[in-house]
Amino acid sequence: MSNIHPSAIVSPNAKLGENVIVEPFAWIHDNVEIGNDCWIGPHVIIYDGARIGNEVKIYQSASVSHQPQDKKYNNEETFCFIGDKSRIHEFATIHRGTSGTGKTTLGKSVLIMAYAHVAHDCVIGDNCILANAVQLGGFTQVDDWAIIGGSVPVHQFVKIGKHVIVGGGTKIGKDIPPFIMAAGEPIKYYGLNLVGLKRRGFTSDQLEKIKMIYKIIYDSHLNFSQAKEKLMNEMPEDIFAKEVINFMNLSTRGLIGK
Amino acid sequence: MVNIHSTAIVSSKAHLGENVTISPFAIIHDEVEIGDNTFIGPKTVVYDYTTIGNNVKIFQNASIGHTPQDLKFKGEITHCYIGDNSIIHEFVTIHRGTAASLKTTIGKNVYIMDYSHVAHDCVVEDNCIIANLTQIAGHVHIYQNAVIGGNVKILQFMRIGKFCMIQGSRTINKDIPPYILAGTEEVQYGGLNSIGLRRNGFSSDQIQHIKKIYNYIFESKLNISQAKEKISAEFSNDPFAIEILAFINESKIGIISK
Repeated sequence: MSNIHPSAIVSPNAKLGENVIVEPFAWIHDNVEIGNDCWIGPHVIIYDGARIGNEVKIYQSASVSHQPQDKKYNNEETFCFIGDKSRIHEFATIHRGTSGTGKTTLGKSVLIMAYAHVAHDCVIGDNCILANAVQLGGFTQVDDWAIIGGSVPVHQFVKIGKHVIVGGGTKIGKDIPPFIMAAGEPIKYYGLNLVGLKRRGFTSDQLEKIKMIYKIIYDSHLNFSQAKEKLMNEMPEDIFAKEVINFMNLSTRGLIGK
Repeated sequence: MVNIHSTAIVSSKAHLGENVTISPFAIIHDEVEIGDNTFIGPKTVVYDYTTIGNNVKIFQNASIGHTPQDLKFKGEITHCYIGDNSIIHEFVTIHRGTAASLKTTIGKNVYIMDYSHVAHDCVVEDNCIIANLTQIAGHVHIYQNAVIGGNVKILQFMRIGKFCMIQGSRTINKDIPPYILAGTEEVQYGGLNSIGLRRNGFSSDQIQHIKKIYNYIFESKLNISQAKEKISAEFSNDPFAIEILAFINESKIGIISK
């Protein structure tokens, strides 16, 4: 049983799950699928291509799956996926993909705070938090558990690793490898995200391992490719080292400095 | 006498004072009190547990008293107070408190400009001004008569003293004592926008040419008037030089430096 306010406009072609609440003046377009137990706030507009999971909350006036802000976009059918239990706050804007990748993806339990913008073709992992007014450029990748502080602009194609925390008010123009804190102007490495990692159950042994990895990357006098080689030689079997090396290999914009 | 537009949705449980105006598509929830002569703009939503004083003006699409963006918040009853004579502009979001202090408080004669955000448990005292896009995180206390510039990021738990003024686009990560001006970083010359120029059909010769002109302005040891003289002597009929010199001559507050 869905509960749609009489002033809301819900296309008969849209597929709504059980127990969805649609608040006044919300507008849900044709090619939209919404899971069970979702709450669609007042004045929210959900455009074509949206695929929304279960227990998602979308707050007042947010705009979901609108056309990408990309001059190359030519009305092709693309999508915007939003995972279960995610929350999208007031005035946030999330655009659908372009033909570049065909979709914009938000994982599960993602918290997007007020005024944040997620551009076309972004991929946001599970449990990420984007604080107020964070503005992601197109094709940005934010891996699981990463937290981006308020008002941070992120350049297009940037990759942000797992469990990263980024200080509010900084600017991101380069890739940020997993497990670390980054802040400052220009943005740089500020040690491990110890608080976040401990909260998520990393043991002190594991933290020591990760610390060793980042000592090689940021606290020796090696450049990034030398550091990578050293990691491959010294810690070939370590899963965290593998993860960091893999991130470095996939980095296209280069890593942030120290 | 209350003036409620026919498309607005006002709960019968809400308490509205004398001479209140509710504009089209606005929504007023159950547990809301609004004082006399207050104006609620179009599409604005006032959520539960909000108390708004007299002579307040809230413009289009604002969101007042919604639930905090705090993962610790579990739906407890908390409040949001807006003092008399305050003005709140378009797309502003003000969240109610969490269990920590149970309320968010905006004083009297406060002026909050477009897109600004005041998070849970904040206190903004009387006569403060908050310019566009300023994002204030949770538990921040802004004392009376403080002026915060545009696009300022204020991190959690900060205190801004009374009669302070903060320049625009700053990140506030420490307390600011009363009566002072805070913020100094200035925008600088960062070279030519050569990619943009090339995309717009400027030839390499033209770009080199413009660069030469700017070298005199920013890269030589000349001051601006000396540079201007040198440019007019060396590039007397050059359209770019004429354009740049005209721009500088028309500048009332001076141009950026390097």
